[in-house]
Amino acid sequence: MDVQRPDDELISAWLDGETEGHDSERVQDWLRDHPEDAARVRLWAADRDALRARLASVLDEPVPDKLTQTVWRRGGRFASGWRGPWLQVAMAAGLLVAGALIGATWVRGMPPDLSWTAAPRWTQRAAFAHAVYAPEVRHPVEVSVREGDAVQQREQEQHLSRWLTRRLSVPVKLFDLRDQGFELVGGRLLPDGGGPSAQLMYQDSAGQRVTIYLRKADRDAPAAFRYERQGDLGLFYWVEGSSGFALVGPQSRERLLALAQSIYQQDQQSTAAPTR
Amino acid sequence: MTSPRKPTVQANDVFRQQLLGAIPRLRRYARSLVFDAAAADDLVQTTLERALAHWHQFDQRRDLLVWVLSIAHNAHMDQRRRDSRVTVVDPERASAEQDSLAPDPGVDVGLRIDLINALTRLSVEQREPLLLVSVEQLTYAECAEVLRIPVGTVMSRVSRARAALRQWLDGSARPAAGARGLRRVV
Repeated sequence: MDVQRPDDELISAWLDGETEGHDSERVQDWLRDHPEDAARVRLWAADRDALRARLASVLDEPVPDKLTQTVWRRGGRFASGWRGPWLQVAMAAGLLVAGALIGATWVRGMPPDLSWTAAPRWTQRAAFAHAVYAPEVRHPVEVSVREGDAVQQREQEQHLSRWLTRRLSVPVKLFDLRDQGFELVGGRLLPDGGGPSAQLMYQDSAGQRVTIYLRKADRDAPAAFRYERQGDLGLFYWVEGSSGFALVGPQSRERLLALAQSIYQQDQQSTAAPTR
Repeated sequence: MTSPRKPTVQANDVFRQQLLGAIPRLRRYARSLVFDAAAADDLVQTTLERALAHWHQFDQRRDLLVWVLSIAHNAHMDQRRRDSRVTVVDPERASAEQDSLAPDPGVDVGLRIDLINALTRLSVEQREPLLLVSVEQLTYAECAEVLRIPVGTVMSRVSRARAALRQWLDGSARPAAGARGLRRVV
């Protein structure tokens, strides 16, 4: 096992999926045996993801008319034939092209085997649980906190929190997302890989739902926020203390990030000063 | 310079549609270069005008995005040469502007300001390849094409940009590169 240390350029290229064959193996072998370097590369990957997440919202902004008009202007003047419905058809076609471009680049830009960038299996269970229970009309949750009067609702909340905490062996807090427009519906116990997990469900005034999936973490290592899309659902997941969190919903990445940050902060506050 | 198609004065509609489709990503790249939203859209506008003026030079077999990103890069460099104001971006101002861009900023856990601040501190020679590879997810070859530099230069600049960004994010509390645990990066 006498591997020569790959330089940072090579490691960085490996992270970008730009190495192959012997070079890839060299980097992977080195990182497996050198946790400090592996931690450094994880930070690079986290920075990359954070940059992407930070700049993603620009893609969702409506394109200013001025720019659209620049594209359709002919000989310095705006061509009248392209106003109205034709312009919209053309714009839709343009969006399709953009989608195809983004899709193609994404597939090509995927790095090779990166165990920490690939979503762990439990996040897939979180997405799956959301897909199964979020559309439920009559029985979205096992324990509802919306029945009865205010006092009964408060009792149900306390019961839910205590019950899930006992079953998961990690503190389960009911996060308050009302500032973000989401009310707690309730929660349920679910089977996870090697033990139980919990799902908390929230709903906004339009009936759109997000779920928080909670489990006992495999490792007690704080990890970066990660974003992942699984079909129509987006999810942010992270590990804090002894708990793994995944926030799942069909909302935009920015919206989910705001919710995830709120949850993260509430979790931090309650850990610092247990008031309830 | 021969083109497979006979160049005409006006760009055709297929090309215009493709160009329209590239706008969102052009805007994102421009924003990450100049930070100020209005200035970024001016850069996009210049890029679109140049692309339309030289549309017959575009080979349809190639990736339009790579082509327009290279035009944006050139336009940005021209602008920097012309207007030194753009080269000196006050990090505080830039992050305030960047903040105003986010439609739904939510609760800040700390990274956003750090990250954009750190980004503004990188030289443009480091920032561009890092953004093209990390955010635009171009291959090194495409990135080299956009910036007209060798692939090996892309590789070393990306690597140095990563290290520099990390140093800024780690802040003055940990100036030296040494053994570090995994730090929360949101």
